[in-house]
Amino acid sequence: MRGMNGVGESLRESAVFNFAGAVTMVIDDSPFALELTTQAILGFGIKVRHACASASEAIAILRDHPVDLILVDCEMPGMSGYEFVRWLRRSGLEPNAFAPVIMTAAHVRRSKVAEARDCGANFLITKPFSAAVLLERIVWVARDARPFLEVGDYFGPDRRFRSEPWEGLERRSEEIRKAEFEAQRRASIEL
Amino acid sequence: MTVITHNRRRSRLSTLIDQPGGVSAGVALAQAKANLAEMEARSRAVIEEKVAALAALQPATSIEEASRVLDQAYDHSSAVIDAAGPFELTDVCVAAANLCDLIDAAPEDRPFDWRIVTVHAQALRLLLTLPVEAAEARTQVLASLKDVLKAKAPGAAQSD
Repeated sequence: MRGMNGVGESLRESAVFNFAGAVTMVIDDSPFALELTTQAILGFGIKVRHACASASEAIAILRDHPVDLILVDCEMPGMSGYEFVRWLRRSGLEPNAFAPVIMTAAHVRRSKVAEARDCGANFLITKPFSAAVLLERIVWVARDARPFLEVGDYFGPDRRFRSEPWEGLERRSEEIRKAEFEAQRRASIEL
Repeated sequence: MTVITHNRRRSRLSTLIDQPGGVSAGVALAQAKANLAEMEARSRAVIEEKVAALAALQPATSIEEASRVLDQAYDHSSAVIDAAGPFELTDVCVAAANLCDLIDAAPEDRPFDWRIVTVHAQALRLLLTLPVEAAEARTQVLASLKDVLKAKAPGAAQSD
């Protein structure tokens, strides 16, 4: 069985958690989908503080209010969920720029797959999903200890989920530089 | 490429989750299911409304109109998945997702075969009216929709 940080892990029925004080925001242009999400997470003890029908409405709130968890629909008219998350991560707002974000989607267009991966969300859940999957993902993002990375256009949690060592040639320039520095340091000591 | 690593500060959510009190996963899920159960009848009404809207859509009469009408069909189909998702209407979700895949894979330089939308709207209506025990009929409906996907968008069918 995978550990508590494993993606895809099923929660034990007896696992206890407390989200009572979490300031939560849900963004969905569909009033019914928004209510479904709100009612599901209310069952988990999470009261939605900010229910927003658009990204622009959410942005106005995020500028002034710290939020602990954001659930946002991917496809919305005007600013999409992907564009919203990208804005959030680059917003410089403390602590909101680093807030855990779960995206939800009924369907992800093929042209949007890269955007979904690169916008900076912690997790994307595709529908249909059960309440159990939603709860599992919320617990998972709460325990998500990945560092935030800034790489080119990307700003968000480290997208690498696997921690197994890579057995091939090292290709990361940062690691190559570290190895070179270490080799030079050792050589200087031996001299 | 330069990589800047921001050491992760513990989010407030990660602190809150382990505070004393709270609920067990079993209780939380039971509460969530009870909350959602109260919305099931409305969900059904929303699905029927979206399927009716899908069936009422007319094919585009000009190239300029084509993408707008297809986007509407895509939105209706997505809304069906949104509303059906939490209620174990898996076959309804599969049928709606099939249409989303087909619209998503539609080539922009060729007119969209509108029969695809009509067939999916009819299939969704049928799935909503079939009794729960008609498993074989449901499987046949979904298989025929999957055949449409394979024929019209082999790439999307493979990635399924």
